[in-house]
Amino acid sequence: MQTKSHPSRRGILTGAGAALAAPYLWTSAQAQAAGTIKVGMPLALTGPLGSVGQQQKRGAEFYTKLQNAKGGWLGKKIELLIEDTAGNPAACVRKAQEMVERQDCRLFTGITLSSEALAIVPKLAEWNAIFISSDNGDGRLTAESFVPNFFRANTSGPMGTRAVSLYLKDAPYKSFYALGLDYAWGHNSVQVFENELKRLGKDFVGKVFAPTGTKDYSTYVTKIRQSGADGVYLVLAGDDNNAFLAQAGQYQLASKMAILSEQLELTAMRAVGDACLGIIASARYAFTIDNPKNKEFVELWKQEHGGQVPDQFEGEQWQCQRVFEAGINKAGGIEADKLRVALEDLAIDDIKGNVHMRKCDHQGVQQGFIFKAAKKDGYSHPVPEIIATLPAERTTPPCNKMTYDD
Amino acid sequence: MSTLAFLLTQGVNALSQAALLFFLGVGLTLIFGIMRIVNFAHGTLYMLGAFIGYSLVRYTGSYWLALLMAPLAVGAIGTAFELGILRWLYRRDAHAFLMVTFGLALVTGEAVRLIWGSDALQVPPPAVLSGVVFLLDEPFPVYRLFLIGFGIVVAIVIWQLLERTRLGLLIRATSQNAEMVHALGIDVQLVRSGVFGIGCGLAALGGVLAAPLVTAAHGMAATAVIDAFVIVIIGGMGSFLGSLIGALLVAFVQVFGNYYLPDFALAFMYLVMLLVLVVRPGGLLGKEA
Repeated sequence: MQTKSHPSRRGILTGAGAALAAPYLWTSAQAQAAGTIKVGMPLALTGPLGSVGQQQKRGAEFYTKLQNAKGGWLGKKIELLIEDTAGNPAACVRKAQEMVERQDCRLFTGITLSSEALAIVPKLAEWNAIFISSDNGDGRLTAESFVPNFFRANTSGPMGTRAVSLYLKDAPYKSFYALGLDYAWGHNSVQVFENELKRLGKDFVGKVFAPTGTKDYSTYVTKIRQSGADGVYLVLAGDDNNAFLAQAGQYQLASKMAILSEQLELTAMRAVGDACLGIIASARYAFTIDNPKNKEFVELWKQEHGGQVPDQFEGEQWQCQRVFEAGINKAGGIEADKLRVALEDLAIDDIKGNVHMRKCDHQGVQQGFIFKAAKKDGYSHPVPEIIATLPAERTTPPCNKMTYDD
Repeated sequence: MSTLAFLLTQGVNALSQAALLFFLGVGLTLIFGIMRIVNFAHGTLYMLGAFIGYSLVRYTGSYWLALLMAPLAVGAIGTAFELGILRWLYRRDAHAFLMVTFGLALVTGEAVRLIWGSDALQVPPPAVLSGVVFLLDEPFPVYRLFLIGFGIVVAIVIWQLLERTRLGLLIRATSQNAEMVHALGIDVQLVRSGVFGIGCGLAALGGVLAAPLVTAAHGMAATAVIDAFVIVIIGGMGSFLGSLIGALLVAFVQVFGNYYLPDFALAFMYLVMLLVLVVRPGGLLGKEA
């Protein structure tokens, strides 16, 4: 006769299961009670492109603070989920997956590297999530790697490169060399530049790619000088951009050839100072863009940040959040199926002028800007002086393409 | 560009890079030689040197003062760390040092982020070093020539210190047989604290010198510690001359390798290390493992 009562195996398993699941149930219940809308940002806050991720973080936080003061989205507070990926695609997917599973996050933005974004997009359907890019340059994201739940609010790499080549059409330089970062974005943009130059009838004399995190750029400077080109086109960012510009400045490269760049941030201009003077670059965003909405934004930003002006990816992230806002208001919710339809063919007028999220490949159609790094009164470092604004229909590639027909 | 001009340009590129790598490697190897510990915080202290250098240049306007004071400040931090924490761990096994110096790296990295923010900061070279000199119609940045000269001077100073002074004698003796030195009535603890401080100071010196080339940036720390390890492993753990040869070898292979085979830019340093380890497992001038 058995008098001792043992807990049944099933009972133990159920209990253990409940105990394991409890934290997740609790977080999702808490989220619903708090009624927030979560935006996942697995950012490269550290690593060679950490300065880009930091800008994205500041841009999103600034927007969220202002918007939450106005009641957030659909009456719910916006909650940013920020994690550091250090620029590693595998870490980015893991962090995003955790945000989906543990926090029920369905909106993503701010994924810093294109290689990370390319790793994320195949997962979006399974996660039932919408990802709006605020900085990813690789043209493939709206071409061969396009997925329906991906949108790009920012100027892409091919669009920046196209803006530079449209500018070059009438410029006196005949031959070019290119230096890009040795990953998805660098290769993609250099390829577009090469194609564009050939169609302009100019010479493309060679290219070289440097691994991200390169410290000594002297050999690359030697190669560029030896090419004998009239100009060099740079597809660099973060620490690499700073190191190259500082060292190229010491070799007085600018006195031998024109230096053009797909993008140049204010952080880089501050970090290298006069070494970047005269560089011509396409701006995805610049605080000097002349329109009332941007002026208002810059003033608000300065008040909040002790007089500092917003940098390129801070502006791009702001615009991206505004696209989210318009889409969510139109959809009346954040469910991927509704939000996707709402975002398609959505248009907003914001700090960079009109942005139209076209339906065919989800690229934001927007103007291109060319600036020159120049001195300006009241600033201790060079600032972007806009020298050309290019119409959206000229800088945006045909649907699902990253090359241009004309 | 003529062949001679090309070789000269690349030679200057390689030698200036070797100087920076040497400052990193020699500090690490000194510390290893005498304490048998690998200082994981080396790269972070190198970065800290650059940021302290930035502040000194910014507030005093003198790069030379930064070049003197930043290594002293970081050296003092290193000594304090040895006195306060490492000293109590010598009886434990090597894992304790790995954990503790790794912890120092994390804490220092975050402290730098809190104090100086996360953006890269400009450290311009002094006016006298910011020009170029023309040789064979090619420009050579004065700052790179200065790095080479300064590297040679520091190498000679350390060498003379180790060979000719009483402190050098104590350092060499302690690295060979610490217990015997102790038995002779020398305060080995003091030697250890001093050497740890000197090693950290040398890392910071490298950081201040690298800052005009790469700006003062958080990214400096990540690869610096790996570069330093590779150089020390190539040269032989604990060997001063080894770290010098290791730095030169890596710099030349890197600069010429990047030129001819840029696709393999990341691999050269490790290929050199692999080759050396196959031929001499203890490093070029290290004791046979």
